[in-house]
Amino acid sequence: MKSVLGIDWESRRRGRLTYDRPVTGDGPRGLIATDVWLARGGRDVLRGATLAVPPGAVTALIAPSGAGKSTLLRCLNRLLEPDRGTITLDGVDVRELPPRELRHRVGLVGQAPVMLDGSVRDNLAYGLRSPLTDDAAAAALTAAGLDDTFAARSAQELSGGERARVALARAVVRRPAALVLDEPTAALDADVARQVGATLRSLAAEGLAVCLAIHDVPFARAVADRVVGLDGLPVPS
Amino acid sequence: MSQAVVQVLAAVAFAGFAALLARRLRLGLEREIVWAAARALLQLAVVGALIAAIFRVPALAVLFVAAMVLAAALTSGGRLRAVAGSRRHAAVAIGVPALSATGLLLLVGAFDTTPRAIIPTVGILIGGAMAATTLTGRRLLEGLREQFDAVETRLSLGDDVRTAVRPVVRGAMVTGLVPAIDQTRSVGLVTLPGTFVGLVLGGASPATAARTQLVVLLALLAVELLAALLISTAIVARLTAPGERVVLPDPAPDETGDRRPWPFPWRRRGGPSG
Ligand SMILES: Nc1ncnc2c1ncn2[C@@H]1O[C@H](COP(=O)(O)OP(=O)(O)OP(=O)(O)O)[C@@H](O)[C@H]1O
Ligand SMILES: [Mg+2]
Repeated sequence: MKSVLGIDWESRRRGRLTYDRPVTGDGPRGLIATDVWLARGGRDVLRGATLAVPPGAVTALIAPSGAGKSTLLRCLNRLLEPDRGTITLDGVDVRELPPRELRHRVGLVGQAPVMLDGSVRDNLAYGLRSPLTDDAAAAALTAAGLDDTFAARSAQELSGGERARVALARAVVRRPAALVLDEPTAALDADVARQVGATLRSLAAEGLAVCLAIHDVPFARAVADRVVGLDGLPVPS
Repeated sequence: MSQAVVQVLAAVAFAGFAALLARRLRLGLEREIVWAAARALLQLAVVGALIAAIFRVPALAVLFVAAMVLAAALTSGGRLRAVAGSRRHAAVAIGVPALSATGLLLLVGAFDTTPRAIIPTVGILIGGAMAATTLTGRRLLEGLREQFDAVETRLSLGDDVRTAVRPVVRGAMVTGLVPAIDQTRSVGLVTLPGTFVGLVLGGASPATAARTQLVVLLALLAVELLAALLISTAIVARLTAPGERVVLPDPAPDETGDRRPWPFPWRRRGGPSG
């Protein structure tokens, strides 16, 4: 299988036992949220939300604005903790994993990703546990639809669409097992969005569990293998 | 009229002018100004009498210092009441640096161990620590709200909470220390601070007054930095939830207004308490 980003995803997945703790349980693969309830500001935002993000596929989450998509996605890497319900990664409750390990394994690109100080390359390298090679940086940028001249640019002066793509590259470069994206194409034009969609598909083809919350239903249908609502059920076309 | 009466009347007139101007400009501050002025009048009258008593019975000084720390903690903690336990944290952030610095100064013999020397010095140090605590704490809470996306981004990239909030904490501490630094830097040029004025008015030589002022000012730098560090650490610890998460408090409904002044912390007007 051709590797994406110069990373051999398959052997990386097989190499899971090299992590500090075994992270493979008996339950279903991928990221699974089951019956998640969460109140924010005194109001139930999530009422039994359910989402399954299997590895090797792109799952699109579609729900009206304000329904709680971003809230649910934040639960997936434990930025938020549900009041009730469980989230598992490859069968292991996310609360059992060391939080920083979890966040390395579940890459989250938020709805308003922030560029940290420094260059684009500094952003890609931020918090990496091993030094970032130029090849890996260039590959991540290319996958996100940027050319490698971006590495040296100051991250603060990028356009909105460029930021969105750097945020994607920044998540991808840390080789997560699951990739969770909140409106990744909102700031992109149709061509670049298609390119990002193709990247997501090839990442999924290499075994990642990919999930995106998205407003653009036709785009979701074109890119995703499954299009689901917050109840976990497929959205009828 | 005696000079005492003229002094008080002049002070009241200034406060009245400030209140009227605030009302005219619709700043919504006139009640606060009047209230603050009334408090100052009352508190200073009481303090004058109290200190006279303490000069007669030095053991009372301990109680008085404890009361100063308590009052500062309630004032500062009230401004930070969105954070649970804010008054307790403020008490530590104010009391520990101010009292240790005073202890050190006494230990090395920089001041006499008399109420007359100790009370004003410790008062200034507590006041400085209180200002730094309030300013740093509030700026930290604001900064965390403003920059929460950045904090979440850093957490998502694998930072622990302390690392993820560090830039916000730094910014808050800088804000908290600016007054102390400016005051130190401009001393004698823009302001003649309290110790100097007090000593000169009290008949000390300008050289003695300047030396004493220098000690207090430089001690303040360390005290305020430590206070800023302590309150930031406490707030970050309070807002850290299991799983390297940051949970922001709901803003206290009247966070900007001193509507629950410290002598009456139970006088709450709506909203949950901190
Ligand atoms: N920190 C918060 N405190 C209180 N309420 C919040 C908070 N964050 C979000 N909410 C509320 O939770 C609800 C869901 O928000 P969320 O951002 O998850 O929606 P969403 O489905 O992602 O919407 P959109 O499609 O517009 O991005 C909204 O009503 C929002 O106002
Ligand atoms: Mg959203």
